[in-house]
Amino acid sequence: MAKRITIDPITRIEGHLRIDVEVDNNAVSNAWASCTMWRGIEKILRGRDPRDAWLFTQRFCGVCTTVHAMASVRSVEDALKLEIPLNAQYIRNLILIAHALHDHIVHFYQLSALDWVDVLQIPKADPAATSKLAESISPWTRNSRNELKAAQDRVNAVASSGQLGIFANGYWGHPAMRLSPDVNLLAFSHYVQALEYQRKALQVVGILGSKTPHIQNLNVGGVANAIDLDSTSALGMSQLEMIRTLLEEVVQFVQQVYFVDVCAVAAMYPEWFKIGSGVRNYLAVPDLPLDSRGSSYDLPGGYIRDGNLAGVKGFQTASDPVFRQSVTEDVMHAYYQGDKALHPWAGETEPAFTGWDGDQKYSWVKAPRFNGEPMQVGPLAQVLVGYAQGHPLTRKYTDMAIEKIAAIGGPRATPAALHSTLGRHAARAIRACMLAELAQKHLQLLVENISKGDYAVHNQPVLPNHEVEGVGTHEAPRGTLSHWVVIKDQKIKNYQAVVPSTWNASPRDRTGAHGPYEASLLHTPLARPEEPLEVLRTVHSFDPCMACACHAFDPSGRKIGVAKVL
Amino acid sequence: MKRVLIGGIGNVLLGDDGVGPYVVRLLESLYELGEGVEVADLGTPALDLTHQIVGLHALILVDSVANDDPPGTVVLYRKEDILRAMPAQRLDPHSPALSECLMTAEMLGATPEHVLLAGVAGACYEPGQPLSDAVRQSVGVAIAAILEELERLEFAFQAKLSPDEPGIWWNRDSIPEPDLVPQ
Repeated sequence: MAKRITIDPITRIEGHLRIDVEVDNNAVSNAWASCTMWRGIEKILRGRDPRDAWLFTQRFCGVCTTVHAMASVRSVEDALKLEIPLNAQYIRNLILIAHALHDHIVHFYQLSALDWVDVLQIPKADPAATSKLAESISPWTRNSRNELKAAQDRVNAVASSGQLGIFANGYWGHPAMRLSPDVNLLAFSHYVQALEYQRKALQVVGILGSKTPHIQNLNVGGVANAIDLDSTSALGMSQLEMIRTLLEEVVQFVQQVYFVDVCAVAAMYPEWFKIGSGVRNYLAVPDLPLDSRGSSYDLPGGYIRDGNLAGVKGFQTASDPVFRQSVTEDVMHAYYQGDKALHPWAGETEPAFTGWDGDQKYSWVKAPRFNGEPMQVGPLAQVLVGYAQGHPLTRKYTDMAIEKIAAIGGPRATPAALHSTLGRHAARAIRACMLAELAQKHLQLLVENISKGDYAVHNQPVLPNHEVEGVGTHEAPRGTLSHWVVIKDQKIKNYQAVVPSTWNASPRDRTGAHGPYEASLLHTPLARPEEPLEVLRTVHSFDPCMACACHAFDPSGRKIGVAKVL
Repeated sequence: MKRVLIGGIGNVLLGDDGVGPYVVRLLESLYELGEGVEVADLGTPALDLTHQIVGLHALILVDSVANDDPPGTVVLYRKEDILRAMPAQRLDPHSPALSECLMTAEMLGATPEHVLLAGVAGACYEPGQPLSDAVRQSVGVAIAAILEELERLEFAFQAKLSPDEPGIWWNRDSIPEPDLVPQ
């Protein structure tokens, strides 16, 4: 008889992910991903000035504020066919890259590393031996015995206090944990350092965006950064130099620490290249525009069906006609009225809460579909779409990851192995390396353009009275984000956000097809079903963030995280 | 120099959840704050709150709380009250809530010495709604609690002769009503 396990952490008034799995013979036999809260935030936007929408959308979520601001201005610009000055594109790109680097670093270390790293093994580590090991795999200068000893002392202090504090909720000593004490120490030392480097990345966002969270420098038509090379209050040489220095440090951390650690985890848990694939349809949109019109990009987009890399189809632009026409949201199993699959411009957000019923409606997340099929989005989708199209930068770092994993003693992975839980982590690290390189490139492009005497940052939008539609996309840290706006009489008539975690946390659709989280969990072996670490590993590999993925508030939702066996 | 951060936490789009940002913006419009005092609308932060609080002498936060008190009740929590909450399973980046940020700061040996959370019990968290009447009437109490803490910690502040417009941009009618201004 199958046992049902529910993982349902609720901490504050935010949307949260709930995972239900059925376990048969110590393997997952069925899975449901759901979101426990409705928001309907888009409805707030109706009747407002489209030029103000980005200020509201960046409050959808406290973690990914920037991305919703960006997708929003892009959607209105698309509707108005408005070009963006080059400086504005570069400044936006730098903000997006810096935000993504911050996000990827935090995701790996603070939100998922402890699925693989057993903190309670760290007191047994030998800092000198750990330092030697670290120096054999990375030139990073902060792997000294002293640095590692200091990290070990932090864990000892927490462990000896009798209360585990920040580590109170891990599956320590779980049989699926397999790293040596030294490797655990090394990873934990970087967990602490990661806090410093993600902050440096955010400082870049803060310098260019005036404030973080919630950047203030955007507007429809460009940015509001005054450029004056001699000024210290406008965007001038002193600020650009500060950004350069911060980026150099973040780039080093990403390439010498984050990338190497992911390769080391991959080398030591090779079986996770065979677990957690799920939906093998992938979707990514082009991003980091290189001209004012958005006709060439530094990151390629496109889609892949059923894992067939050779059959990849590319998107020419960030609002490619194929993308515009192919997206629908299905509410058959979501707590909304009806059972229709509607295009976002015609989208409805009318709640119809029934309570969790795995055979009927069970989630506040709608089921987005591309040509009627579920799609996986995120760094893995982006890396596969780029690799399949021969994108040089994607190939460079993917090949480097494959070499590095083998060099540390792991298997020689192929791009096909990337259809997996580890593949998602590896792809995020690959993408972070690409972005790190592109950060420096876009800073250089900005400096060179300003040096030519081009100080333009904004084109004035003109709102027509007739009805216009637009889509603004961004390849966000968690994948393809699209904001869909309909403008009439200079006001917003309809607004829908189809966010990355909606694609990935999607419930079943009218055909019964699972969403990516659900599909990826099927057949996962569990060593101890009462401690479903393996489920967490796969769910975390997607980097879920539900605050904006679901569109009410559950006033009874005050439970602290539980994994209960029903 | 000793630093104190006065942070408003909450989602301004979800009715009473926006009370934190509302209070700190109003405070800033009404008072001239002395050296070392920083005010921030923090939105709904996750682990990125950690780096905002590391190294501070004191942290003062305003947030809505879901407890059993009647709406508009202001409850004051200290560091040990917040740390009593067990860390939740981290399923998504929103899970590392305030307690985890404080625990992380503690692990780094850089936790603020003084922590005060003014929690306001909410009534309505519906999207697009203004603050409920009960919560609006508590705004003055929350501001008084912040000022009392500043005084206790010897940070300077002074009422402005003519208050600034508070910039509550998310309300369609952004002018605060006179009963919000504390005496």
